[in-house]
This record gives sequence, C-alpha cells and structure tokens, in this order.
Amino acid sequence: MSTSLAGVFTLGAGYLLLLFLCALAVERGWVPTRLVRHPAVYSLALGVYASAWAVYGSVELATEVGYGYLAYYLGVAGAFLLVPVLLVPIQRMTRTYQLASLADLFAFRFRSRWVGTLITLVTLLSVMPLLALQVQTMGDAVHLLTGAVSPALLALGFCVLIGLLAILFGARHTHLQARHDTLLAVIALESLVKLAVMLALGGVALYGVFDGPTDLQSWLNGPGLAAQSSTLRLDPGQWRTLLLLFFAAAFLMPHMFHMTFTETPSRRALLQASWSLPLYLLLMALPVPLIVWATQRLGVDASALGSAYLAFALSANPWVDALVFIAGLAAASGTMIIIAIALAGMVLNHLVLVARPPDNQPDLYRWLLWLRRALIVAVILGGWLFYRTVGIKHDLTTLGLTSFVGMAQCLPGMLAVLYWPGANRKGMLCGLAAGCAVWLLGLWLPLLTDQAPLVFIPPGLEALEDEPAWYAITLVALAANIIIFITVSLITRTSEGERAAAEACSVDAVIRPKRLPLAARTGEDFKPYLAEALGREVAEREVDNALAALGLSPHDGRPYALRRLRDRIQANLSGLMGPSVAQDIVDRFLPYQYDGLAPTDDIHFVESRLEAYRSRLTGLARELDGLRRYHRRTLTQLPIGLCAFGDDSELLMWNDALAQLSGIEGDSVIGARRDSLPAPWAELLGRIFDEPGSYLYKQAVTLESGLRYLTLHKATLAAEQGERGGTVILIEDHSEMKWLEDELVHSERLASIGRLAAGVAHEIGNPITGISSLAQNLRYDTDDPQLLETADQIQQLTERVSRIVGSLVSFAHGGRHVEQTRLTAVELYQVGEEALHLIRLARSGQDVVYSNLCPMGLRVQGDAQRLVQVLVNLIGNARDASQPGDEIVIEAKPQGSGVELSVSDAGHGIDASVRDHLFEPFSTTKPPGEGTGLGLPLVYSIIREHHGHIQIDSPPPGQQHGTRIAMWLPRPQEDGEDHDEPDSDR
Amino acid sequence: MYVYRIMLFLVFGGYLLSPMLMSGWATPGMAWYRPFVIWGILIALSMWLEQKRKLDEH
Repeated sequence: MSTSLAGVFTLGAGYLLLLFLCALAVERGWVPTRLVRHPAVYSLALGVYASAWAVYGSVELATEVGYGYLAYYLGVAGAFLLVPVLLVPIQRMTRTYQLASLADLFAFRFRSRWVGTLITLVTLLSVMPLLALQVQTMGDAVHLLTGAVSPALLALGFCVLIGLLAILFGARHTHLQARHDTLLAVIALESLVKLAVMLALGGVALYGVFDGPTDLQSWLNGPGLAAQSSTLRLDPGQWRTLLLLFFAAAFLMPHMFHMTFTETPSRRALLQASWSLPLYLLLMALPVPLIVWATQRLGVDASALGSAYLAFALSANPWVDALVFIAGLAAASGTMIIIAIALAGMVLNHLVLVARPPDNQPDLYRWLLWLRRALIVAVILGGWLFYRTVGIKHDLTTLGLTSFVGMAQCLPGMLAVLYWPGANRKGMLCGLAAGCAVWLLGLWLPLLTDQAPLVFIPPGLEALEDEPAWYAITLVALAANIIIFITVSLITRTSEGERAAAEACSVDAVIRPKRLPLAARTGEDFKPYLAEALGREVAEREVDNALAALGLSPHDGRPYALRRLRDRIQANLSGLMGPSVAQDIVDRFLPYQYDGLAPTDDIHFVESRLEAYRSRLTGLARELDGLRRYHRRTLTQLPIGLCAFGDDSELLMWNDALAQLSGIEGDSVIGARRDSLPAPWAELLGRIFDEPGSYLYKQAVTLESGLRYLTLHKATLAAEQGERGGTVILIEDHSEMKWLEDELVHSERLASIGRLAAGVAHEIGNPITGISSLAQNLRYDTDDPQLLETADQIQQLTERVSRIVGSLVSFAHGGRHVEQTRLTAVELYQVGEEALHLIRLARSGQDVVYSNLCPMGLRVQGDAQRLVQVLVNLIGNARDASQPGDEIVIEAKPQGSGVELSVSDAGHGIDASVRDHLFEPFSTTKPPGEGTGLGLPLVYSIIREHHGHIQIDSPPPGQQHGTRIAMWLPRPQEDGEDHDEPDSDR
Repeated sequence: MYVYRIMLFLVFGGYLLSPMLMSGWATPGMAWYRPFVIWGILIALSMWLEQKRKLDEH
C-alpha cells in the first residue's frame, strides 16, 4: 500500500468526474427519460442509506458482534417492508403540503415554528457525527493507501468537490420540492458502484481466499471456530435496540427522508422499494462476513489495520485496494451530498428564514437559491471540521451510533404525527427536549470532551448501569421522551389549528377544512395582497403557478375555489420557504374573514378527499363510505334537478339532471355563492329563497334550449347538534306539461269549432237539399235548353257543396273512433283524391302542384277515413315544406303481400337531428305556433293500427333534397270479398 | 389494506423473536448463509404482496 497521494486524488477525482459526466448525460437527455425515471433507479438511489458505514463500519461491527452487524440493514429493511402503512402516508403528506424535510413535517403538524427549529437543531447535531464518519473513512482510506500521516487536507479536497457536486445536483432550482432526475440518477449510479464493488470483494473473499462456499463452511466448522470465539454476542435487548435505531433511521435521517419522500417520482416507485431496497441491502450485507472471515483466515491483525478497513487486506493486488477506496468514496460522497442538500433546506427554512423573514425581498428566488448553496457548502465543511476536531478520536461505531440515537429522539413525534391526533406541541417539545438532553449529555458531549458518558439511570433500571453507554442512553432517552410527551400532551390543551393539522396528518382521519370566506374576491385579487410579502413579481408568479396547477381562472370568484387557491399557495410557499414561514405569510396577507357564524365543514372538499382515500378504507369505514357513495349517487343521478346550499348561501351540490337542464357543469359552480351563479339561476334561486312558501309553480325561464317552465320546491335543513343547516332545492322541468296543457286548450277550441262546423253543415245541408230538389223540379218544368243547362249546373254545384260539407263532417268525426275500427278494402286512388280535395280547400299552398299517381283498383285493408286523415297530414306537411311550383306526388305500388303508399315532395327536407324524433309527440320542425307536433305521431299511430309501417327518406335516395314518406299497408285478406268503395260521406 | 396486516404481523413478530434467530445463527455448524435465506424469503413475500396489491387496485 504505497500509492502516492496524487494517485489517490486522481482516482477519487476521476470517480467524482464520472458522476459529473453521468449528471451531464441525464441533463442533456442522452439517457432516455424512461430509464432515468424507472422505479429501479429510485430504488437504487434509496441505497444512499448504505453510507461509508455499510462499506467500513459494518465490517467493524461484524468483527465485534458477528451477525449483529445485520441490524444496520434489517432495521431499514423492516421499515421498507411496511411501506404501505408507514411510508406511503408520510409521502402523501409531504407531497400534498409540499413538506421537504422532517422539520417541515413537524412544524406543519404541530403548528409551531419552534418545533421546526428544534427539529433542525437536533438533526444538525445528530448528523454531524455521521458526516464526520464519512469524512473519516475517506481520510483513513487515504492514510492506508498512501501512508500519509495527515490525510485531512486530501479529505478536505474531496469535501470541496462533493460540495460542488451537491450544489450542481441539488441546488440548481429554487424549489426544494422540484424533482431532480439528475440527482436520482447520480445517486443510483453511486449505489450501483458500491454494490458492484462489495459483491466483487465478496467474490474475492469466497473464491480468492476460500475455495468456495463449501470450503468456507468447512473452515467455519473447523479452524474458524477459534476465530469466532472472540466475537461478542449481542444480548436480545441490545439487538432489538439496534434494530429500532436503524428502523427509525429509515425515515428520520435527513438523507433518507429527502430521498424517500422529497425525491419520490411516484407512489408506485415507493411501493416497489418495499422489496427492492431490502434486496439491495441484502446484497450489500452478504459480502461483509465473507470479508471478515477471509481476513481471519489470512491471519490479518485487525487491531493494527483497524477492523473497519479489513477489506484492504483481502488481497495484495492494488486494484482490489482501489476498488475498496472507490466503494468507500461512493458511499461517503452519496450520503454527504444528500445530507447537505436536505440539511441546507432545513437550516434555511427553520433557522435562517425564521430569524430573518424574507419580507419584500427584491429577488426572492435568487436570494433563496444562493442562501441554499452557501448552506450546502457550510454543512459539508462543518462535517469536515467535526471530523478534524472530534471524529478523528473515535471509531466509526461510536460516531454512527451517536448519530442514530440522536435522530431516534424524533421517533415518538413521528409516530404521533401518523397515529395520535391527540398529541400536541407542548408534549412534543417537552418530550424531545428531555430525550435530547439525555442523549447530549450521555453520547454527544462526551465526543467533544473525551469524558465518560453521563448516564442518568432512573431508579428501577439499575441493571442498565453495566450495559454499553449507547444502549443505556438510548433506552433512558427514549423512555423519558415518550413518557413526558404523552403526559404533557394529555394534561395540556391542544389549539384548534393544531387539531386541524393533526387531522390532516393522521392516517385514519380525513382533513375537514372549514368554509370561511376570504378577503380577496378573485384569484387575481391575491396578487396585490401577496405582493406586500413577496414583492410583485414573485407574488404574480406564485399565484399564476397555483392557478395553473388547480386549473382555475384568475377571475373565478367562488369561495371554494379561492380557499383551494389559498391552500395551494401555502403549500407552494412551504416548498420554497418551509411551512412556518408559508403559514405566517398566508395568515397575514390572505386572511379569512369571520362573519360571526361558526364555520362548518367544507363538505365538497371532504367528499373529494374521501373519494381519493377510498382504497385506504377498511372495515366499518369502508361500509360507511359505501353507503355514503350510494346516497351521493342517488342524489346526483336523481332524474329531477337538485341543488343544495349551505347557510352561507354557498352552493354545495348541483346534480346531473340540473347540469343537463341548465347546461352548466357542477364543477364550475359548486362552491360559488348563490348570488354569483350565472343568469338566470341567481335570480331564479333567489326567488325561491325569498318565497315564504315552499314552492314556486311554473316559472318561465329562458335557457339555452329556449323558453322553459320550471317548478321549484324548497326544503330547509334545520341546524342540529352544532352542525349548520342549509337549503335543498328541487327543480322540475314542467315545460312539456305546460305545452301539453296549451295544446289541450287549443284542441278543445278546435273541437268546439268542429262541433260548430258540423252544426253549420247540417243547417246548410237542408237548404242545399231544397235547392237541389228545386233544380230537379225545374228540369221537369221546362224544355228550354238554357234553363235545363242552368238546372244541371245548379245540381252539380249543390252536389259539390254537399260533398264539401260531407267531407268536413266526416273528417271532424274521423279522430273519434280510434278503437274497434272495422277494416275494409279501400281503393287508394279514391283515398288520395279525397285527401287532395280537402287539402285544396285550404287557402295556403294553392300554387303547389298535387299529383295522384295511385293506379286505379289498387286496394288495401283499412279504414278509408283514417287513411284520408293520414294523407291529409302528410300532404299538408309536404305542402308546408314546398316552394311555389313544386310538385307533391302520391304514389302506390304493390309490394309483397301489401302495398307501398308514398307521398313525395321536393321541399327543404328534414334535419337529421330531428328525423329520429319525428314520431314523438310535440316534435316539430316548424316555427313556434305553426306546428303542434301531433300530426306525425297520429300518422304513426294510425299506420300501426293498420298493421303497417312507415319510413321516412329525407332526402330520398339519389336526390339532393326533398322528402319521401312511404307506408306499407296490407292488402285485403280476401280481395274481392268486400269491394266497398271508399264512401266520402261516411 | 388487509394484506398489509400480514406484513405488519411479520415485521413486528420478527422484531420480537429476532434474538432467538440471532442465537440460532451463531450456533456452530449452522450454514453461514441461513440468515440471508430467511431474509430472502421475507423479500419474496413482500414482492408477492406488492404484486397482489397491484392486482387489487386494478
């Protein structure tokens, strides 16, 4: 081992350059995004947990306590096996509220900047020994490789390079929550390098020193027993405590928290890590005992070399040494980079910004970015300084355990965040302070002073006096922490804000925000308010970002939308400056307005959250949620329009039927005030609110679909058990009923006219008969040819008048005998003539040409009068659609066992959108007032009564315009049996 | 959610019983890779639960 310093520096710098090139490749897009964002990359990046401790410290621990070294891996593996129940809820919180660190999470949950500050200080103190451990392994490795007496300067050089890389990878964006693909890729590469080297070292041990697994097993059962006898055995308590410490480290250590929650690409990736990270750690842990046993077989003096660095003695090959050095550097640099990035954010948010709020900073983003960069460098240099002054005097296990025991003091608080909404900040602060005091006096300060640990053993636990200091202090500190935390939380009062935050964080609770109005009236109004704190430019950018993220319009004035906007801005500012400062800013500059009424839950928001949480509900909660969904569905899919308002006139529900009737989607109006609803709804709903009764009947309203008649029913929900009430309004569309009523009145009027016409016809009939008789007599009384001709003409004209009157009476009676019609053989030509005769009586359509092309003698089985009625309707429609000079043709031809009767015109045709509804009552293509929409339904009904069918072609095949309506009617069953001519008088 | 209870049970059960396993591993004559095999089985179980969860969600 006599490599030169320059050679080692070149090796180390070369490796760090490789990281830089990897970052460059990702940044420039040379590596496919699909690969960079693959869950496997995230799992490998989580391997940042395997710090220099995994490469050197584990070997040291395995030498001392055998398989006890596994606690370092199994603790974290256990935490990740519980990803769905432990880590996913934390990830959900951090993602929802933009919480980038443990201090952010605690400050958010306990609604106190002091909590954030204390957590930051505890983290800072805890992490320093771990950082020193990383630097120390680099220094010791350089010393072993080069023989340099003081390798600290070279270690400092590596620290500076690592600091620059940390800035490059993690402090290029202003937002700490911004995802860093580059950072993930680089750390994943480091994990791969560590793993590859460790597996290679395991291979060297197993196949270079031993002759494979069988030889190793033989050695362990034989000569190796003596070497193993010096290994200590951890007692069950110590083993469990180690497991607990490393379990807690999985989500409390700043680099693990950052990598697990802040850099998570997706929940899927985190869930996959539940098995992939334990697998990675298994592979990392596997070579450790092999290295120890191989060096024991080689007879390496562990005390001379340092048991942590036994891997350097595995082989005389300098490349093996280089590999060990690279593995240590990869492990240390990855951990230092992530710790520096995470800790810089915590110090910035909870120490710097709390001491110096960024009120009206001219260029806030730039100012924060440079502060963060400076803090990254400061953290890494702080680690180096701690190593130079303190760490160098202690072994890796002491440094590492001091760090892990310190961070474990946050474990009770974290469990309370997830599972105990009753915990409060006073309890948390007192418990944490007590636990940290025990830890500081027992483990941390003795690192500085070289004094024996000061361990307070409470009465009853005297057995701990003989145990290792780390073990006794861990138990005493955690016990004091937990007992004081619980006691103080139970005897002190929890603030309302803290209770709300606890609900937001708790695994089993759904956040229940209150419905409070804001001073700002629209999203755009937020900008001047926020500008007072952030400056105009930053305020505009933050508001615009939040609006874009929520998909809201800047002019949306719905209180619900404004509350969501406020929450989003707070979350975004939390990612920028931490939750304490963010909350302070929104509370001061975007305050709620209290209207004197007790605020109630924001039901719509609660429901939307429940929808999102559905997959998490189990047991009774799931059953209740099923009921809730059923009732919700019942209301939303009710075929009658329904809307509900809170006591503050905020719209809480707008069901599907109402959305269809109004043409307004529920999402665009829910959360709005009643008076801000689009016209005519604000005025219409205001009317029912002001109405002393419970309903309004047939209110005329002009909607997009035209004039509608709506009936509104109102029910007032009484306030019960502290819950505020509201108003439910049912809206029925009575337009069709109104039109039907109007039609009935009109029909009644027509019927009266018909009766009158029948009476008149009867009265006219008598004198006409008299005139006809007189004309007949006249023919017998004279031989004057002129008079005879006159008498003939009088007779013809009176016959014509009789036929007209008879047709009128017949048609008026035609619609009455709908049932029990006796069908007879009907001559279609005669039916056509009769219909045309009636049509020609109307004044309109005189300039249209009518042609009856039905062949004589072609008959169908039917009722002549009702078929005349059919043709009159169809010809009337054709006439209305035709232009002057157009021809309307009635045709008939045999078809199969029946006859096809058709009416064709060359008019404007029927629009495709209404063609399918023509046979429905009140469907008409004519302008309002001109068509009743009852003609074609009547035609359809008559044809069906005749066992026929009807078809509309508009335009007919091969034509550009026009309409052809064809009816198929059956022929007489026994043609010839009943040859009655259609009787126009019947 | 129900499947995760299996994992909760295993992890906390394993935590409580792990000292017994530890003493077993240190017994002379035991295969040196035994702890890793047990660990591997736990990983396989976790992988199976993850697949089951995916199927449940679909």
